[in-house]
Amino acid sequence: MKKMKRNKYILLLLPFLCLMISGKAAAQEDSVVAKELVRLKYFNDNNSVQYLLLENSLKTGKKIEPLKDKIFQVYLDSNKAENLIAEVKTDKTGKAKTFLPVSLKTIWEETHLHKFIAVPAGKEDITELEIAKAKMLIDTASEQEGRSIIVQVQKYENGEWLPANEVEMRVGVHRLGGILSANEDATFTTDSSGIIKVDFKRDSLPGGQKGNIVLIAKVEDNDQYGNLMIEKTVPWGVALKQGSNFFSQRSLWSTRFKTPVWLLFLAYSIIIGVWGTIFYLVIQLIKIKKLAKSPD
Amino acid sequence: MENSSSLSSEQITWDLLPQKFGKRGMIWTGLLIFLCLIGAFAYYRQLRNGLAVTNMGDYVSWGIYISNFVFFVAISLVGSLITAIFRLANVKWATPLTRIAEIIAVSAIVFASLIIIVDMGRPERMLNLFIHGRIQSPIMWDVIVISTYFVISLLLLYFPLLPDLKILIKFKEKSGKALNRLYRFQGSFWKGTVQQFKISERAITILCIAIVPVAFSIHTVTSWLFATTYRAGWDSTNFGAYFISGAFLVGAGGVVVAMYVFRRNYRLEKYITEMHFEKMGRIVVMLSLLYLYFNINEYMVPAFKMKKSEEAHLAGLLTGDYALMFWFAIVVGMIIPIITLLFKKGRKPLPMFIAGIMIVVGAWFKRYLIVTPTLLHPFLPMQDVPASYHQYFPSWEEWAITIGSLAGALLVITFFVRIYPIIPIQETITEQHAEAMAKQEEISNDPATQRPVEIA
Repeated sequence: MKKMKRNKYILLLLPFLCLMISGKAAAQEDSVVAKELVRLKYFNDNNSVQYLLLENSLKTGKKIEPLKDKIFQVYLDSNKAENLIAEVKTDKTGKAKTFLPVSLKTIWEETHLHKFIAVPAGKEDITELEIAKAKMLIDTASEQEGRSIIVQVQKYENGEWLPANEVEMRVGVHRLGGILSANEDATFTTDSSGIIKVDFKRDSLPGGQKGNIVLIAKVEDNDQYGNLMIEKTVPWGVALKQGSNFFSQRSLWSTRFKTPVWLLFLAYSIIIGVWGTIFYLVIQLIKIKKLAKSPD
Repeated sequence: MENSSSLSSEQITWDLLPQKFGKRGMIWTGLLIFLCLIGAFAYYRQLRNGLAVTNMGDYVSWGIYISNFVFFVAISLVGSLITAIFRLANVKWATPLTRIAEIIAVSAIVFASLIIIVDMGRPERMLNLFIHGRIQSPIMWDVIVISTYFVISLLLLYFPLLPDLKILIKFKEKSGKALNRLYRFQGSFWKGTVQQFKISERAITILCIAIVPVAFSIHTVTSWLFATTYRAGWDSTNFGAYFISGAFLVGAGGVVVAMYVFRRNYRLEKYITEMHFEKMGRIVVMLSLLYLYFNINEYMVPAFKMKKSEEAHLAGLLTGDYALMFWFAIVVGMIIPIITLLFKKGRKPLPMFIAGIMIVVGAWFKRYLIVTPTLLHPFLPMQDVPASYHQYFPSWEEWAITIGSLAGALLVITFFVRIYPIIPIQETITEQHAEAMAKQEEISNDPATQRPVEIA
């Protein structure tokens, strides 16, 4: 009998043993050589805000995991104390962001080519990023054939702004989470005058209450200029008019409308009714409990 | 309870007291724990690496988890059928089945809630559903009705358990110290006074009335999660009734399987008799026919029209990639059980058990067919997407979590049966007494048994 009882416990222990073995297997998987990756990215949004993004991650086999709470010193052109842009700490996504401080304005304006240097705290490995100063301009044109977006990219050389040719970018309309290309082409490239003219083929896009849409041109991860972006708001969309009639909504209770009062009343009446009953039943249970204490 | 009418109260109590696990019970429990642990490990991986460990993507964003959720919600509906509807209709023969139905309902609804959390990419944001939920959204309705149904089911399980707890407390030597402490904590206040019985009976009646609309809501709202979305296969006004009929069928199938297993393993032949299988068999046939009727509606009418947008979806189900699973769900999950159970011999325990398993397995695949093929057939053609987006097969983590959740639900039932009597003891004794009294009265009123009165 005792032996049988012991067998029962062995049976129950089996699952734990199997789990331990699978845990060991997972640990072995993790023993692949890991490599730390540091990446610097330069951004210039609307020619007014220049900032740097540092990405720090750990590559193990095919898996890339962000490294959080890592401290880096970021410098402009040389890793001297006077050239320090900022000391940054990565967040849980392994990213850290810093803007160019006003104190470095003179160094920034001295030359058209700059180097950003990231040095991890307590280490000597450095990561560099070289960029050439550039800016973007955006304009629109309405002709008989239709509307178009004109984007110009200029680079700063010898104290003047010159056209930047062969720069690939996306041009379109800023939508939630991405860019809807202005026509059937996915990307566009500047000509010798640094200009591209893109035919706008996205008519009848919903454009909020005023019919405004945001045009956007974006250069991404360019070897010379980094990430450039320019936006312009134009009234080219279709103005959305909210019908006051209940049935003019796209569906019942669509998200852009507030909940109808009658629905709130109905829903909460049902909820209160049912939960009121449950509450009443719990009180009955307490009553039964109290009855046990009565001398009867 | 044909055979139990001649049994003494002591005999009934002794027969129905919870029993310790035997060797088979230990193997069964160990297996379930093992499957649960694998599921937990897979979920740990999902938490660590995100939903990327699943094979869900931009198109199939509701995969095996939501199919499993619908299955759990469906099977939980049985609590309202067996317990509430039968009790309200004064169907006495179903008394031994009420607790089986209720524990299936409670364990299924618990795992339905858990599997929804598993499907969430950011489970820590669950609380936001309650804080910032939009009452206009069917997802919000589902959250409300599931939590409501869970509480009502729990109360419906607890109230009838009170008299049995009093009996269990008496058998301290059989149950052991730990269990006795649990019984005392849960029911030491039950003295069995007339007043306590009166309040309890009233509460049970209120619960039976309240659970029916809540149970119908839970499954209707679950169907609306699909039907309020304009997609091929979901765009139907019938969906509420279609889901409820399917839920009743799988729930009844689940009860039949549980009846057979408990009857066999705990030697309850005197309490769960062939009459119970016979009657449940008739109910299952009716429910299968009803569900088959809704299935014909759901597939034949759109197939007759064959709208362009639904063509690919229907072809996939009827003759394409999902044809094998589809016809399995229809033939094995409905047609074979109907044919088997139409005959008296088919309504015997073993064939009923096999039919019950067929129904439950068929029903699980049916839920998978409701969710996945529709998502693979959007109105706009799938263009410029990786080849893997065109099909969906769950990853090992998804399978492990799903199987783990099914094992978890069975584990809850298994532990419940180990701790509490699966057939209500007090109710069985009361009904047996009432039956015996009625028989006695019948005999005394029968003129054939009356002796002529002698005149002095």
